[in-house]
Parts: sequence; C-alpha cells; structure tokens
Amino acid sequence: MKKILLVAAREFVATVSTKAFIIGLLIMPVMIGVSILIFPRLLNPRNFKAQGEVAIIDPSGRAIGDIRTAFSPERVTERREAQVRQVLNQAPPEVKQLATSQASPQMAAAMASATASSDLRLIERPPTADVQKEKSWLLEPTEVRRLALVVVHDNAVRSEDGKTYGSYDTYVPSNIDDRAMNEIQAAMQEALVNARTRESGLDRAKIESIVRVERGKSITVTKDSERSTIRGINGILPIFFVILMFMGVMTGGQSLLTSTVEEKSSRVMEVLLSALSPMELLAGKIIGQFGVSMIVLGLYIGIGLALLLSFALFGLINPWLVPYLGIFFVLSYLTYGSLMVSVGAVVNDMREAQSLMMPLMLVLTFPFWVWFPMSQNPNSAFSTIMSFIPPINSFAMLIRLTSTSPPPWWQVWASIGVGLFGVVAALWFASKIFKIGLLMYGKPPNFATLVRWARQA
Amino acid sequence: MNEAIRLKSVCKTFGTTKAVTDLDLTIPRGALYGFIGPNGAGKTTTIRMIMSILFPDTGDLSVLGQKSALDAKNRIGYLPEERGVYRKMRVGPFLTFMARLKGVPESEIPGRIKRGLERVGLADAERKRCEDLSKGTQQKVQFIATIIHHPDLLILDEPFSGLDPVSSRSLREMVLEEHARGATILFSTHVMPHAEELCDHVVMINKGKKVLDDPVADIQRRYDPRVIEFDPLDPQADLSTLRSIPEVEDIVRTDHGCKVVLHEGTSAPSVIPRLAIAVPPARIEIARPTLEEVFVKLVAA
Repeated sequence: MKKILLVAAREFVATVSTKAFIIGLLIMPVMIGVSILIFPRLLNPRNFKAQGEVAIIDPSGRAIGDIRTAFSPERVTERREAQVRQVLNQAPPEVKQLATSQASPQMAAAMASATASSDLRLIERPPTADVQKEKSWLLEPTEVRRLALVVVHDNAVRSEDGKTYGSYDTYVPSNIDDRAMNEIQAAMQEALVNARTRESGLDRAKIESIVRVERGKSITVTKDSERSTIRGINGILPIFFVILMFMGVMTGGQSLLTSTVEEKSSRVMEVLLSALSPMELLAGKIIGQFGVSMIVLGLYIGIGLALLLSFALFGLINPWLVPYLGIFFVLSYLTYGSLMVSVGAVVNDMREAQSLMMPLMLVLTFPFWVWFPMSQNPNSAFSTIMSFIPPINSFAMLIRLTSTSPPPWWQVWASIGVGLFGVVAALWFASKIFKIGLLMYGKPPNFATLVRWARQA
Repeated sequence: MNEAIRLKSVCKTFGTTKAVTDLDLTIPRGALYGFIGPNGAGKTTTIRMIMSILFPDTGDLSVLGQKSALDAKNRIGYLPEERGVYRKMRVGPFLTFMARLKGVPESEIPGRIKRGLERVGLADAERKRCEDLSKGTQQKVQFIATIIHHPDLLILDEPFSGLDPVSSRSLREMVLEEHARGATILFSTHVMPHAEELCDHVVMINKGKKVLDDPVADIQRRYDPRVIEFDPLDPQADLSTLRSIPEVEDIVRTDHGCKVVLHEGTSAPSVIPRLAIAVPPARIEIARPTLEEVFVKLVAA
C-alpha cells in the first residue's frame, strides 16, 4: 500500500505542479466570467442597431401616419426598453436589484447597449406605386442599405366584413438580417393596431389595460423557507452537472493517459516495474489522478456554491445532489480512467493514442447529445435504459436526478450497483491490458487484439 | 540457501516465437555472472522473468530464496535495457522517489543521494532537471537509482550501452565496488570484452537455449585454440624446423613469426621448451581464446 501511495503522490504532484494544469484550472472560471460579462453584450439581440431604408406603399393611406410614428427612433427605443423590463421581471430578485442598481456601471452599460436605438429611415411611396417596379429599388446598389419594401393591404386598417382584416407584405433582399426584420415587423404591428383601433373609434390604451394580465408572483415553497420562483434553472441544472462531471473525468482521464504514454516513451516504465508490480503502479496512478480530478471538481463546485450563496440562491439546488454527484463521479472516473490508462499503456505516443481514444470519446460525449430529451422526459423508457448501461449510466442518472421528475430511489441505487459492476469490469480489463502493454513497443494493437490480450492474460 | 537466482526448465513463448527454451541456471550468492548472447537470444526475456515482470510459461524460478522477485524487490537492484528517467523531474526528487519505492529509510535518503552523485562526479546535478542531462549522465543517475538501496542482487541489462569509454570505466568500477560490498551481480551484454573483464562466470544463450555456463577460466581452457604465438629472435630463422616436433600439427606464418598449431590433447606448456630449443624465440606466448571467439564459434555452430 505504501508503494501505491508513493506513486499516487508523485502522479498528483507531477500533474498539479505543471503550468499547463494551473492555467487549465483557471481558464474555465475566467471563461465563465468572460461569458457572463462580455458575451451577453456581444450577442444580445437587443444590442443590434437596425440601419437602413424601408419603403412603404399604403394604397389606402389609412395607416401611413401610424407607420411614421411607429418607425420613429423614440418609439423603437421605447419598445426595446419594454422588452428588457419584461425579461428582468422574470429574473431572480437579487439579479433584478443588481440590474437596476445605479452602483453597477457594467450593468448600466449593458442596459444602455441593450436599448441601443435604431436608425430606420422610412421612404414613403405613392399609394399608386407599381409594386413590381418598386421591387427593383431594393436591389439597386446604394450606400445606404435598403432593408425592405412593405406593401400594406387595402383592408389592413378597415375591415370589409367587420371581422377580418388584411395585413401587409414585405419584400426584402436576400441578405436581410433577421433582427432588422423583427424590428420592422414590431413597428408594423404597432402601427396597424393603432390605426385599426382609431378607425374603429376605440381607445387602444383602454383595450390594452383590459387585455394585459401582468405575470403574477410565483413563490417556491420548501419545508424551511419560501422564495421567489426562478424559472429556467431546472432546465439548465442537468447539463450543468453533466459538464461538471465530464470535466472532472476528462481532467483525470486525460492526465492518466498522457502520464502513462510519457512513462512508456521515456522508458522509465521498466525502471518502475523493478520496484513495484504493474498492479501497484496502476492503482497508484488512478488514485493520484483521482486527487487531481477532485481538485478540479472541488474548485468548480466551490465557485458554483459561492455564486449561489452570494445571490442568496443556495436553495435552488437540492443538497442531496452533491453527494450523488460525488458517487457518480467516482464510478465514472474509475471506469473511464481505467480504460484511458490502458490505452496509454499500449501506445507509443499521443498520436497513436488518438485512434484508440476515438470510441472512448464518443461514449464519453454521448450524454451531451441526449441530455435534453432525457432531462425533458427523465422517466421515459430511453432515459431508464440509459441509466443501466455502464459507463453512460452515471451521466444518465445524474441528468435524471437533477431533472424536475427524479427517478425512484430504487433505480438510483440499482444504477449505482450497475456502475460498480462497470468499474470492476473496466479495472479488470485495464489490469490485463496494462500488464501486457507496458513493455510492448512497436505497432500499437487494434481493439480486437486488446480483447484477445484481456482474455489471455 | 546459497543461491541468489535459480531457474529450472524455464520456458517462455511469445505467440509462435520461443524466446526461452528449457533454461536451467543457478547463480550462487556473491557471484559476478555475465549473461551473454547475440541480439534476440532471450537475455532480456530471461532477466524480465527473473524480475517477475514477465512470467514463465513453464518451469520453476526462485530469486533470493523467494518464489517471485516481487517478494524480494527491495533487495534487488535492476537496471533494465529499456531505461529512462522522468524527464520533467529534478535529479534529487527522482532519486528520492526511487529510494522511497525501494524502502530506504527516510533519514538515510539525502545522504545516499549525495554520496552517489559525488561518486559519479555529479555533485552539482541534484537540482537539475533530468531532461537537461546528457544520455550518459542520465545513465549514471539511473545506476545510482539502481543501487541506492544497497541491493543484495544487482541485475544489469546491457549496462554499458551508449556510454563513452570514460563513463564506461567509471560504471565498471562501481559494479566491482558493489560486488566487493557483497552483492550478487548478473549483467547481460553482447560486448564480450566487458564480460571477459568483469566476470568470473559466464552464461551464454543463443536462440533461447543455454549453450555455455562455466567459469571464464574453464571456458578459456576448454576452448583453448592449441596455438602458441612464436616470434623468432632471428627474423631470418627457418621456422619449418618447428614442424619436426611431434606435437606440432601446423605452422601458420604471421608478420613477425608464426602461429604454432598443436595436435588435440597436447599441453601447450610442455611443448614450449622444445620450441625454444629448436628456434631461439624473441617472444613465445600461449594464445588464450577470447570470449568473442568462443561466442562466434558457438553461435556459428
């Protein structure tokens, strides 16, 4: 046991003391921070500034006044602000408070960019303009972009039968931006509704106040406390846990693979085997890299919990999920780690490892393909079957546990049992392959040869 | 139990290749054995079986009185043919790691590392990264790692390969020091002069089979070429007169004289006085067979 721990300690220190590990460890929180602070500003759809000309043909002339108003920069800005308010109303109170606080210049900047005004220039065409001719206007090369030709239907404002209204047709060039289209449609919607209500002698403000129902307060009730319901979190929780476990498994597994390949290629392997048995070496390596994975997992869980605490959102996560994450991580790490270390033992360099790693990586990334249907239907036949097929079962069960309809407890423990069986099988396979592969140089074996080795050893 | 290593009818096959066939070998404690043979003869496979890195298909094996070397690993020093160091580790931590694996008491480790490095002229290398050392220097570090736990049995697989003459001599001296300390030494090589110079006993294998297992002196005696090198005092002397001696089978001319080939079963020392009487010599010497000659002869056979 002492030798196993010595190998484990060396593996651990050799991995965590490298610059690559430290940079890799810090890069994820940095990336998350960057994505929180910068990406929304870069990718925010409301950050888009629509610029260009929009030609309007209103044969009846009944809507043109309202269209002018709806396309004015002030109205465009007001509509965007209303959209932002709507989104913020759904956010947790702490986030809402942070967003509306004057003390946060970043958030103020984000709000400002989110409500960037548009520069849409309205070109009014005569009511009798020929639509076919006007279409060619769209395609003329000009400095100012021509975004759309909008043709309002004759009955768009005044209904002929008192029940149905016409609408409008939009002609656009091939490279129109969807966000500009949305801007134009929002303005046309507002203009036509205004024109129709006025034409009908109705008060739009009054109608709106009648039909608008503000979203009511939703309170999540738990045994210990009550808090505002936060929507959306249940949707992202499963993938968050899958990513967390994937990173832990990959960090340890990848290090196991590279350190084994390095020991083989630097010919230090046989020197080690003069001091300990292959099984002691294998066990030491797996334990050492388990420690490395735990550092990664611990750091990210710590950051996650700290964020939840700072926003007073700790109650969002069932505390029982953390020990289950631990159990399924151990099962998953031991299974994948064993297989990766055996790959490292049979190849001569990392290039050769790629081809053998391909099937393993396909299995390891499989949960990313199926997390959404599984989290939406956690108790479907597919989800249940996946929970009992190692090595996918650990990820599958974690997705189900973090979903809105967790599986029955017997299934959780049965899945853990199946996972343990998978671990034993993977360790058995790895021990056979590791022992033979360590001193094999030359052409790396294919999968069939590995199976033959496992059966022969 | 006076045997350090004992192999009995050991066989090892890889696929259809018979690497070692029916090998018997006994190495007494305190001996210095050379394990020689051409490339691919089965030396490394045999050594790996002794070290329990590989296991024989059939046959019995014991090392330092144990059924498996795994039970005696802390008493064995092994320098494999395929050897290396952790490139990114510094020399000191690498040797410390190896010493701990070999069960050296923690308090003794720094002293042994210091003395070992000083012994090979690397006193200032402790803080250097292994990857910054030359191949020869790395081999010296590996040798220190091999003997840092003062093993009872030292197994060296091609220890001199890749070393320059100075490093090679230094390593030879250290091997002899370990032998003088009382360690049993088995080293494999295909460089015959090394074996001849160091060993008191040689085991030779070819194609997985043992073809020789004798003390060096016995080998030289047994494979005596029955040749006396003879340079006459007078370069113009008639060497054909040597043929008149009944024990002489043939005379082969050389640059300065001739080689006198004797009949089988003839004792060379008994012939020398009569040769000297027949033709006064400037130099007369019994030619000893080198291991290389024996090696070539046996392998060719």
